[in-house]
Amino acid sequence: MKVVRFISVVSAIMLLVLLSESCAEQACYDNTDPMMNTLLLESGTGATVEAASIVVMGITATDTIDFVDAKSVSSFSLPLDPGNDVSVFYIVLDGITDTAVINYTRHPHLVSAECGYTFISELTGVRTTHNIIDTLIIENQSVNLDGERNLNLFY
Amino acid sequence: MAKGTLICFISLFLLMGSKAASQDTVTVPLHFRAGFDIGGPVMHLLNNDISSYGVLASLDLNQAVSLDAGLRFTSFSTVEYNYNYSSSGTSVVIGAGYNFMKPKTARGKYYAGIGLRYGLSFYSQEASGIKYTNEWGEGESSIPLSHHTGHFLEITPGVRTELFKGVTIGWNVYMRLLISAGAGKDLNPMWMPGYGDATSGMTTGAEYYVSFSIPYKKIRVIIKPKREEEDEEGEEGAEDSGTTNTTTGTGSTSGGRL
Repeated sequence: MKVVRFISVVSAIMLLVLLSESCAEQACYDNTDPMMNTLLLESGTGATVEAASIVVMGITATDTIDFVDAKSVSSFSLPLDPGNDVSVFYIVLDGITDTAVINYTRHPHLVSAECGYTFISELTGVRTTHNIIDTLIIENQSVNLDGERNLNLFY
Repeated sequence: MAKGTLICFISLFLLMGSKAASQDTVTVPLHFRAGFDIGGPVMHLLNNDISSYGVLASLDLNQAVSLDAGLRFTSFSTVEYNYNYSSSGTSVVIGAGYNFMKPKTARGKYYAGIGLRYGLSFYSQEASGIKYTNEWGEGESSIPLSHHTGHFLEITPGVRTELFKGVTIGWNVYMRLLISAGAGKDLNPMWMPGYGDATSGMTTGAEYYVSFSIPYKKIRVIIKPKREEEDEEGEEGAEDSGTTNTTTGTGSTSGGRL
């Protein structure tokens, strides 16, 4: 009888635990925004340099979106347009403006049940004007949640 | 003379054997059990997203070890503000359970032990609508229906008791460890049938089973006589200070436990 009583009590506790677990709603605490990370390098030497000022804007059909406005930085991060396979940016380095066109493919990536999906991208090509930018090259194609460097910008 | 000595020796041997059996033998019935999980339908009442129906069969190999196998059908669907997702499939588990209870206490009716099982999940999943928004705006996509096979391990401590003759009820907690979801790293299933949330390497929960049991065999488990044990201790002395309460049986019996 002791065994039966023990099993009954523990079963009741387990049932309560199960019920309380099923009622728990959880929020999204994960990072869901993949960023394209770019490092600024000195043309010729390849050394990391700090730009005195940098402004980066995204260009849409109707508007521009401010992404970066900083001073004394050697790198910056940008999101890609999740609705298109191309993103266009104005990059203003030390007061001189260039345009960069980034081409990529998008894939859904599950973050968690709470957060849902995000879009990770594979860079397929970059083009720029050359007012101040010397070259813009792809270091790592995968724009994901790992935070790795994707582009090297020489100027 | 030699014949007489032999008869005497065999008689003494048989006498010793019968003494041990009459004093410390426990007869344990071995069962075949087949049951169903009542936890799944109850959970469905609380959470409409999940439907899960499982059956489990176990066969006692001896008084301690049983062979377990289970089959479960699960379907999961959810509609969130940024995605619609559904998965469904069948999972199979196979493994063994070990009863830690003394044969004398368990008597083939009670179980308090742990199981280790390997699981296979054959499932399909799709996400008919996915939305992702950042500063640029919104992007939409979908994941078409695809079929996968996942693997996992399951550790299941639990208890079971005979409710009345032929019917047992019991629960077990489970800890499932994901080996592979089989869908690639970006599209791990939000719910892998038989496993659960496959974005996590480990899931936990509980199952409640009602089972019908059929005894198919009886075995004797011989427990070492106390007097004999004391005698042995006296003889062996300091040579071996550690003793056990039970020992192995003969014939179809097997080792006793704590």
